[in-house]
Amino acid sequence: MVVVEIPIGPQHPALHEPIMLKVRAEGEEVVEVSVNTGYNHRGVEKLLEKNSWVRGMYIADRVCGICNAVHMQTYVQGVEKLMDIEPPPRANYIRTLVMELERIHSHMLVVAVMAEVIGFDTLFMMIMRDRERVMYLKELVTGNRVHADIHMLGGVKRDIDEAKRDKILKELGVIEERIKHYKKVFETDYTIVKRLSEAGIIKRSEALRLSIVGPTLRASGIKSDVRSDDPYAAYPEVPFNVISRDEGDSWARMMVRLEEALESVNMVRYIVEKIPQGPAIPKAIPRAAKPGEVISRVEAPRGELLYHIISIGGANPYRVKIRTPSFLNILNTEKVYIGHRLADVPVIFVSYDPCISCTERVVVIDEKNGKKTYMSMRDLAKVRVE
Amino acid sequence: MEINVGRFVFKEVSPRRYVASVALSELREAVGAVVMEDSYFSALTAVDLPKDGKIELDYVFWSIKHRVALIIKVTVDRNNAVVPTVIDIVPGALGGELEAYDLMGVTFEGNNRLRRGFLAPEDMVEKGIYPLRKDSGV
Repeated sequence: MVVVEIPIGPQHPALHEPIMLKVRAEGEEVVEVSVNTGYNHRGVEKLLEKNSWVRGMYIADRVCGICNAVHMQTYVQGVEKLMDIEPPPRANYIRTLVMELERIHSHMLVVAVMAEVIGFDTLFMMIMRDRERVMYLKELVTGNRVHADIHMLGGVKRDIDEAKRDKILKELGVIEERIKHYKKVFETDYTIVKRLSEAGIIKRSEALRLSIVGPTLRASGIKSDVRSDDPYAAYPEVPFNVISRDEGDSWARMMVRLEEALESVNMVRYIVEKIPQGPAIPKAIPRAAKPGEVISRVEAPRGELLYHIISIGGANPYRVKIRTPSFLNILNTEKVYIGHRLADVPVIFVSYDPCISCTERVVVIDEKNGKKTYMSMRDLAKVRVE
Repeated sequence: MEINVGRFVFKEVSPRRYVASVALSELREAVGAVVMEDSYFSALTAVDLPKDGKIELDYVFWSIKHRVALIIKVTVDRNNAVVPTVIDIVPGALGGELEAYDLMGVTFEGNNRLRRGFLAPEDMVEKGIYPLRKDSGV
């Protein structure tokens, strides 16, 4: 049978970063997938070397639009170690609050995208509508709807008061109810369960060798979460459960995220109720760091985020290495698609919660006659049904 | 505090961070030993040290068993930066090797997927520049 190569990507205006999946399929069956990158390298690591420690905060924050607070946390907590600064407990609680809000809206986003990819457009819109409540809370706490920018070396930029606390608690009630509803939908809807189950199984033994992280790793039965294994900010004091499942398929990855979002709701509630009194905003901004190196790890919504920061003293970092979770999750899972139907590729791909911009435009090239057909990712997903 | 992994000794440098500096010839053995400790590959940091004429490579693993980061450090000559690949031992290291090759100019012997332009923009590839080297002029 003819092998057809289908380039998925490299860019789409609706998402964030361009990347291309080259899928080779024999009939309906995927025989090879390779990931192409390099379409929009922004040189963030070099940019960090060229700028001061303080400016670096804003560069790190802009690595990602969805999970920006975790990038800032990873950078700031690393630099604070190099500067011998201990942020006050109240600042740690506020940082954790923002990061957990971010986890809720990020998980809701991928669940919504998954709903859209499998043809449940109304569900997509409903989840996105409810996600807006979380964005409102993020704006309430940080002043910004998307880029939180709440961190500062030695603390945070804004404090919260009782009025904000009450608003957060009120909204959380609605958010929790909605996430519980979506969890029930993903658990009980026959079509969703059938569509996602057994798609892209990663076994426990394979997961570590492939070095995948975050909810994708936990859905393969490995309880690894930076928040509990390598705690930072206020996580040592905030109770939560590490969610994991044994199935290892796309459905399990979605369920892990929905259950984690519910955990995060409880964490946010705990934080605003138990936040310690005291100062949170630093009075002065430190400028210089001592020589040394630090490996700073944070559990981003997509998994372990790592910054390796090296200082030789002075006003700028010597080297900052950033390893984002999607870098591992996308590149290392090329082989997982093999043997699946073409229509499963979007499902499996979205189940990794990829932070890239290529999932909608597809060109199908028939190698026999060179004919090109443009298909959207959703049309591709429907091929199997028809 | 120390952790023994195979015949390698990892010393604690900060809470939950353990480092072992190994010779280039021992790299593959050390990676093999670390992988046996229920570890996943986390990151490969390449650091340019032009004053010493070296490039330092830090292989960062997270061990599920010990709940610590195990870091293997090796250095290579800056003008002849050739290192054996480890992707046959831990396939998850692929991205790290591709990135270090493209941005720092470290060749990983045995990795046939290395290519310029994996991340670096076209103009740098054409000029043969490795942007993360300190003397690259970027």
